Amino acid sequence: MFLSVEEIVKHYDGVMALNRISLQVRKGTVKGLMGPNGAGKTTLFHLISGMEKPDSGSICFKEREITGLQTHEISRLGVGRTFQTLQVWGNMTVVENVLTGMHTRIRGGLLYSSLYLPWIRKDEEAAMKEAKEILERLGLFGRWKWFASQLSYGEQKRLEIARALAAKPDLLLLDEPAAGLTYPEAKQLALTLSRLKEAGLTLFLIEHHMGMVMEIADEVAVLNNGELLAEGPPDVVKKDLGVIEAYMSRK
Amino acid sequence: MVDQVHKEFRKRDLLYSGALWLLSLILPDPQLHYRREYQFRKRDLIYFLTIIALPMIWSDPHFHHIMVLSGIHAILALGLTLFLGYAGQISLGQAAFFGIGSYTTAILTTRYGFPSLLAFLASGLAASFFAYLIGRPILKLKGYFLALATLGFGEIFLVMVRESRGLTGGVIGIFDIPFFSLAGFIFDTYLKQYYLIWGVLMGLVLFSKNLIRSKMGRAFLAVAASEDGASAVGIDVSRIKLSVFVIGATFAGLAGSLFASVMSTANPETFSLNLSVLIVMMVILGGMGNLYGPIAGAIFLTYLIDGLSRYQEYSLPIYGVILILLLVFFPDGIGTRLRVRLIYLISYWGRKRRREKVDL
Repeated sequence: MFLSVEEIVKHYDGVMALNRISLQVRKGTVKGLMGPNGAGKTTLFHLISGMEKPDSGSICFKEREITGLQTHEISRLGVGRTFQTLQVWGNMTVVENVLTGMHTRIRGGLLYSSLYLPWIRKDEEAAMKEAKEILERLGLFGRWKWFASQLSYGEQKRLEIARALAAKPDLLLLDEPAAGLTYPEAKQLALTLSRLKEAGLTLFLIEHHMGMVMEIADEVAVLNNGELLAEGPPDVVKKDLGVIEAYMSRK
Repeated sequence: MVDQVHKEFRKRDLLYSGALWLLSLILPDPQLHYRREYQFRKRDLIYFLTIIALPMIWSDPHFHHIMVLSGIHAILALGLTLFLGYAGQISLGQAAFFGIGSYTTAILTTRYGFPSLLAFLASGLAASFFAYLIGRPILKLKGYFLALATLGFGEIFLVMVRESRGLTGGVIGIFDIPFFSLAGFIFDTYLKQYYLIWGVLMGLVLFSKNLIRSKMGRAFLAVAASEDGASAVGIDVSRIKLSVFVIGATFAGLAGSLFASVMSTANPETFSLNLSVLIVMMVILGGMGNLYGPIAGAIFLTYLIDGLSRYQEYSLPIYGVILILLLVFFPDGIGTRLRVRLIYLISYWGRKRRREKVDL
């Protein structure tokens, strides 16, 4: 199993955020994670990417236990992620954001960087070329010289995906990529995601936008109040009574 | 009518655009500084040549002396700007590392007869070693808490220096530290010391410039802007913070060593909290996130303090008022704001003359 979450439990001071959740993501598929606000979706992502530690349970990625590891170690194993609240680096240009995404793939440490040896220069040039290609793919090439803080909200969201892709992840966790986007932007995003899926990337995404999830996800899991309500192919989950109730009662 | 305005060209316009070009060379656009520092540019060459030529043009020994002090302050400010301006962390303990460097040189040269160069390198090493020990637990803190922790370290160091009389000479300090000498050449005049210190500073500027244009510099900026974002792409945030802290401390240690061998004394008065705050002021007034800004800030503040010293007991209040005014009117650094003002002024003159002639 590519990513498997086993019996995970997470409390916040008496509030049960996640209660014995188990789910799996298969390689090369797109899995959607849905649920009303406060259901524990983002908490699950934080646990997978190592930003928070679970109270009990285990998470395995590529047959490897990653429960106790730190975020940057998990990231180096091939888990990329984006954030619900934007975390782009506004103090850098767009292309520098993507270059920083390649941090672990560019050679050289403090010593070699401070000497700026010829091979570092060569690597930097190659990385710059690749970064521009990634921006081209996400339709941000025209903005490469801009500061990230000058981009619009939708562009910053795309930049975050570009940055995560720059690290060449095997699994990409997308936390509400379509939230706050206009309709054409969301359409464009769905197209980009399906292209990534065709390229063989495994996606795990949180999304409220029903239409988009149904369109690109192979499998959907629904969380409510820290419990796993339903899991399965999108058409089946859509008809699940518990899911309908959870969404309706909120509205 | 409007078309005419654009077609018309006078020789005077060359002057205005020339002035703007010159301004862009000396004071670059701060919004572009991260990108501009990718390469070794004309601007760096202009600065370096100015530093080399300055004491030849201006041969006043007092000027050389103040520039020696400014150079030492500039090394300190450069170290802090990597930590404060690029990695976005605050340290109020730089003076302690300055002191560690000073005392290492003082003790090694006076008691054990080490050659200056060796003592100089040992000072940097000692400072970086202490920074590593202190930084590991301290750098988990953020913002105000980090500032307070580093402040506490500075005070502890001061007390330790004052009390361990056998090693450091207590409040009196250590005297008769030999001048810096290299292969028989002794740096005993202000002019020679000027070249020694600004030579070291130029080397450190090149070192920092290479760092910040490589992946390390981008990692510093990433840590400053969003630690979550940085760790999500595989940057080891605590390690980056620690290494910048150690680099800044090493710079401070080297500055301390130079200070000891230039002034021939090391005593605890020179690196109290005042110095730490002064360095932070240099970085803020000079402009953060820019390598040359803090150096300019160091020269400016050193001159200000020297100029005010003739007013004796009034000097401190005047100094305080000037600092407050500067922080109010130049919040993002003197150079940054000055540049914007000058551009407005030059282009305003250009437009004003035109308007008169066209008579709209």
